[in-house]
Amino acid sequence: MTQLEEETPQLEAAFTLNGDAQVTSVRVDETLLEALRERAGITSVRGTCGIGVCGTCTVLLDGRPVSSCITLAAQVNGRQVTTAEGLAGADNQLSPVQEAFVRRGAYQCSFCIPAMTLAVHAALNDPEAGRDVGTVREYLAGNLCRCGTYPQILQAVTDLVSSAPDHDKDGENTR
Amino acid sequence: MPDTVGTDFRHRDAERRVLGTLEFVLDHKVEGMVHAKAVRSPLPHARVVAVHTEDALAMPGVIAVLTGQDLTANPDIDPCFGKPRADQPVLAIDKVRYAGDPVAIVVAETEHQAWEALPYVDVEYDELPYVVDAVQAARPGAPVVHDDRPDNNVATWRLRHGDCDSAMAKADRVYSDTYYSPPASHVPMEPMVCVAQWSEGQLEVWTSAQAPHAVRQGLEKVFGLPAGHARVHTLNVGGGYGAKGQVKIEPMVGFASLAVGRPVRMELSRDEVFQTIGKHATTVELTTGVMNDGTFVARRMHVNYNAGAYAVTSVVGAGQGLTRANGPYAIPNVAIDTVATYTNTVPCGPFRGAMTSQLAFAYESQIDDIARDLQMDPLALRRKNLLRETDVYPTGETLHDLHYDELLDDLAAAIDWTAPPAPAEPGRARGKGLGIIIKNTLTPSRSEAVVRLEADGTLRIFSSSVEMGQGANPTLAQIAADRLGVPVDRVALGFPDTAVTPFDTTTSSSRTTFSMGAAISSAAEDLQARLTALADELHGLGGMQLNHDDGQVTPAGRPEVRIAWTDLLEKAGLTELEGHGVFQTDYGITLMDPLDVKGPVSVHWHQGAAAAEVEVDLETGKVDVLRMHASCYAGRVVSPLRVEQQNQGCAVFGLGPTLFEELHYQDGTLSNPNLSDYMIPSIVDVPATITSTALESDDPQAELHGVGEMALPAVSPAVSNAIFAATGARITTLPLTPERVLQAIEEASTARGRTELGAQR
Amino acid sequence: MSVQRFVEPQTVADAWRDLAEDPWGAKVIAGGTAVVLMMRQRLLAPSSLVSIRGIPALRGIATADGVVRIGATTTLSEVASSPEVRRHAPSVARACALVGNPRVRNAATLGGNLAEADYASDPPAALAAVGARCTIVGPDGQRTVPVAELITGFYETVLAPAELVESIELPAPAGERREVYLKYRSRSSEDRACVGVAARIDLDRGRVADADVVVGAVASTLQRAPEALAELRGRRLDAEAAGSVARAYAAAIEPMHDGRGSASYRRKMIQVFVRRALLQITDEAGGEDA
Repeated sequence: MTQLEEETPQLEAAFTLNGDAQVTSVRVDETLLEALRERAGITSVRGTCGIGVCGTCTVLLDGRPVSSCITLAAQVNGRQVTTAEGLAGADNQLSPVQEAFVRRGAYQCSFCIPAMTLAVHAALNDPEAGRDVGTVREYLAGNLCRCGTYPQILQAVTDLVSSAPDHDKDGENTR
Repeated sequence: MPDTVGTDFRHRDAERRVLGTLEFVLDHKVEGMVHAKAVRSPLPHARVVAVHTEDALAMPGVIAVLTGQDLTANPDIDPCFGKPRADQPVLAIDKVRYAGDPVAIVVAETEHQAWEALPYVDVEYDELPYVVDAVQAARPGAPVVHDDRPDNNVATWRLRHGDCDSAMAKADRVYSDTYYSPPASHVPMEPMVCVAQWSEGQLEVWTSAQAPHAVRQGLEKVFGLPAGHARVHTLNVGGGYGAKGQVKIEPMVGFASLAVGRPVRMELSRDEVFQTIGKHATTVELTTGVMNDGTFVARRMHVNYNAGAYAVTSVVGAGQGLTRANGPYAIPNVAIDTVATYTNTVPCGPFRGAMTSQLAFAYESQIDDIARDLQMDPLALRRKNLLRETDVYPTGETLHDLHYDELLDDLAAAIDWTAPPAPAEPGRARGKGLGIIIKNTLTPSRSEAVVRLEADGTLRIFSSSVEMGQGANPTLAQIAADRLGVPVDRVALGFPDTAVTPFDTTTSSSRTTFSMGAAISSAAEDLQARLTALADELHGLGGMQLNHDDGQVTPAGRPEVRIAWTDLLEKAGLTELEGHGVFQTDYGITLMDPLDVKGPVSVHWHQGAAAAEVEVDLETGKVDVLRMHASCYAGRVVSPLRVEQQNQGCAVFGLGPTLFEELHYQDGTLSNPNLSDYMIPSIVDVPATITSTALESDDPQAELHGVGEMALPAVSPAVSNAIFAATGARITTLPLTPERVLQAIEEASTARGRTELGAQR
Repeated sequence: MSVQRFVEPQTVADAWRDLAEDPWGAKVIAGGTAVVLMMRQRLLAPSSLVSIRGIPALRGIATADGVVRIGATTTLSEVASSPEVRRHAPSVARACALVGNPRVRNAATLGGNLAEADYASDPPAALAAVGARCTIVGPDGQRTVPVAELITGFYETVLAPAELVESIELPAPAGERREVYLKYRSRSSEDRACVGVAARIDLDRGRVADADVVVGAVASTLQRAPEALAELRGRRLDAEAAGSVARAYAAAIEPMHDGRGSASYRRKMIQVFVRRALLQITDEAGGEDA
C-alpha cells in the first residue's frame, strides 16, 4: 500500500502467512482480504462478491477454508493463514493439487482458480470429508467459476483422488 | 514441422494462472496512485437538482469530489460516450436515467477512505416517472428516457423475404406465441477495474476490457485527444462474456485523474458490476406458418430488446438479432422486425451468445410445440426445414459451409435420441430435448497483426486480441507457428497495448480465432515473403523456389542448403524484420439501410447445438439436468481441450439463465445485485454427464470458426423442450424456475383433462 | 464513524465489561461472517468490536446427564461433524452442514447464527424441532429460552443489547426418537432455503408420543401448527397422517415471497416438504434431500 495516511486507529495483527511470521498494522475494520492484498502483496486472493459466497477470496485459516472478504484481519491474530502461494513449495514448486490443475488445463480466465485449488486441497485433507469426487464436489460448491471450467476441475479432482491415496502426500507443502 | 493446429498447446502462463501470480488489472499498481469510488443514483429516473460535496470533502483522505458540473465546465471534454449513439454521460449532467447511474466521483488517498466518504455526498433529486418494461416504454405516453428520442426507440431494423402475409394466409396451420427472457447479468468474476494516468497531455489506462482499441477511441473522443493520444493496456482479463466489450468506467477514471493530477484507480464493487451492464430483457412475438407435412412456409417476428438507459451496443445489437432471428431454417417468406427500446434500467450489451439466446428460446421452443401438434418427431421436423448448402437466407445471401444435418446426427447420438429416457421414480418424469441455432459474426470488422522476427530468433506477435481465459493467446500462437512452420514455443505473444499492438475491432462475437487468426496468418506470410526476398538478395538464389521450414530457408530440391532466418537478419544488418497482416470485411449490417436489410451480413455463419435430458419433480417443479451435450461446427479445431472448454463452458454458463438467473427490479431499482440473491451455477449444478462435440470439416483448408458461444443459445430451448417432453408443460418465460414449471405442469394437466373430457363426449 | 476498538476478552465477565464501556456502539463478534458482511454493507457501524471467540467457556461440545451442551462460539462445521451431535440430534448436525458453504461453516458459530436470526438459515428450525434451549447470559444473570421462542422477527431476537448467547442445549430424547431436516432450494445448489422443514417424533411402542414440525425460511420467524401436531399424538405416523399434517401446515402458515418463490408457491412447498419430512421418519422411510 502506497498511501496510508490513515485517520482510523490501527492495531497490530500478528499471524503466520504461508509459514512466515507476519506483523501488520491494520485498521480495526480491515478485512483479511485487504490486508493480504494491500499490505502483504498477495495476489492469488481476490475479492469480488464481497459477501463470502463466491470463494475467490478463499484462504486456509488454520488449515480450513474461510472467506477473507468477511474475515477481519484482527480476527486472525495468532493464527495460520495459507494462500495458493503457500500451497506451492519453495521456488513455486507446484503442489500436487496445483499440478493436477495445470495438467488438466483446469483454468480459463483463472480468476477463481487459486482459490479453487485451496478448496480442493482442504477437502482432500479434511478427515471429515471422504476422499472421493462426490465429496470434493460438494466441498467446491461454494467456489464459483463463471467460465464454466467445472468439468475440467472435476477431471483434476478425479486424478487426485485416484492417484494419491495418502493425505500427507498432498499436504507436504502446507506450512 | 509437425502441425501445431490441432494440438493442445497450453497457456505458457499456466502455472502462474494456478498459483495466482499472473497479473490482472485488479493487481496493477502505479506509483502515487489514488482511489476513486462512484456515487450512484438510488432512483431510476430523476432530475439532479444539486450535488453537495462539502461534507465528503471534509472526510479524511478525500482529495476531490467531482460532479457532472465539473465535467461540463471543461470545454475540452465531450461529456458523453457511446457508439454510434453517444448518449451516456461520464457523470450525470441534468438527470439520472437508472438506479446506478454515476452522479459523482469521490477521490481519496485510499480506497477505504473513498468508500467511507461516499455517503457524505448529498445529492438532491427531483423524481421523474420511470419505466422498466420495454413493451410499456415503446407505447405512446411512456416516460421519456432521452429527450431526443420521445418514443424511447434506440433502433428499428427490418428484414423482408418473400411475401410473408400471403404465405401465412395460405399456410395449413399458424402458430403464434410470445416468449420473454428477463434481464440477466454477465457476472465476470473480475470486476471492472481501471487505472488511469495523464502525462504530457496523453492518457494511459490499464483496464479489464475486451476491446482495447474501442476503449482507446472512446477515451480520445471524450477527452478531445488526437488519435493515439490515449493508450490502453489490458492484462489477463478475469472474464468478460460481453460485459467488457465497450467503454465502461474508463472515462470516469480518466476524468478523475485529469482533475486531481495523479494516477487514479477505480474497482467496482459487485453491486456496481450488476449496475454497469446487463443482458437485454427481450419479448419475442413469433408466428410461424406451417403446412400439414411440417414444411415451414412463413415466419413473422417482432422482437423488442430492452436496451436499458443507454444504447451501448443496442443499435447494432438489435440488427445482429435481426439476422439471427430466423433460425437455421429455410423459410421462403419471412418478415422480421427488431427494435431496441430505452427504459430506466441497467444499460445492456452483448451477453455470451449475444442477442441470440432470447430468439432461440422462442423459435426452438415453438418448433417442438409444432412437432407435437403435427405428431412429428421434433428432430425430424427440424431436419425437414433445415438450412442446407446453397440455400438462400432471408438476407438474400446464399449460404455455404452449413452442417446442421451433422449437428442433429451428433445430438441424436449423444443423447440417445430414439431411446426413451430411463424410467424415473414415482412422482418424477424424464424427458429429452434439443435446440440448434444460427449466428452471424460481427461484420464488418477489422483485425491487424504484426509478426516480428527478432535477432535471437524470437517470433513476436503483436495483436490486440484479449486473453480472457478463452485461450486467445495460445490459440493465436499456434496459428502463427503453424503458418510460419516453426515450433510454437518460439512464438511470443503478450497482452494488448494500443501504443504497440495494432488495431482490432473487439475480442467478442467469437471472431478472434477466425479474424485475428487470418490477420496473423497474413502477417506470417508477409514475413516469409520478406525473408524470401532477403535470401534471394543476399544469397543470389534468383529464380529458385524457396521454402521455409523450422526457421530456415531452403531452395526447392536443395535440402542441403539451409539458411537460418536469423543469419539472414544478421547478414542484412537488421535487428528485426516485420510482417504485417490485415483482415478486414467491407460489407455487413452497419453499412445497410436498417429498414431494408439485404445482402451478406456475416463473413461466415456460426452453427451451434445442444441437447439435454432432464428429470422433473412433479410435485415441486424442480428440474434436474441429468445430462447435457453441447455441439458446434468448428471448421478446424486449433486446440481440442480449449474447444471442449468453450462448448462445455457454454453448457454450464447457459444453465444459469435457463434455470434461475434473473435480475429483479423493485420500484425501478435492482433488488438482487449480489451473488446471494442472483445465483450463478455452481459445480454441483453441473449435470452428472456433460459432453461436447466440435465438428470439423474434411477440407484441410476449412475456415476456423470461433466456438466461444455457439452452443449457448441452444441450451435454454434444449432444457425447456426436455421439460416439455417429460411433462407436457410449455414455459414461455425464462428462467424455468420450479414455480413456473409446476404451474405449467398444472396447466398442462388441466388442459389434458379438458381434452380427454371432450373426447369422451 | 469507523470502528475504533477491537478487544478479545478471555472471560464472559470481561466481555460484559468491554460491552459496558461502549454501551451504544459495541458489537459482539464471533465468527464475524454476519457482522463483517453487515459492516461492509453499511448496515452496521459499531464503534467497537468485542470478539468472544477466545472465551474458553463459550466453546466446545460436552454431554452431561444426557444433555448435549454446545458452546455458543462452536463453529457450524464443528457442530456438523461432532459425533455427539450426530448421535444425539442428527437433524441438527445435518442442518448445520447445509448452511452456506464450507467457508462460512468454518467461521460462523452456532450462537452467532441464532443471534443473527436470519429467517432463511437452517439451524434454527432443526434446533427448535428437537426442543433445544438457548442459555443467555447478561449482566443481570442467566436465563434459558427455547430456540423456538428466540427469534421474534426479521433479524430480531429476545436478546437484550448486553446479552450473549452462552450455549445451546439439546435435551435428552424421551424414548425412541426420529428426526430429519429437509432443505428445499429452488435455484442453484448454493441457494438458501426456499423452505426448510425440521421434523421430529418421539415414539412410544410405535405410536407418536410427541412430535414437532418446524418450518423455516418462509416467514420472519419459525412456523409451526401445534393443533396439527396434537392430532398425531397416540397415532402411528403413516402416509395418511403425514399428508394430513402437511395440509394443516400449508393452511396455517402465511408464507412470504422473495426471489426463491412466491407466497402461493411456498404454501405448496410447505405441504410437499412437511409431508416428505414426515414420510422420511415413518417406518416406510425413503427419499432424499431436495
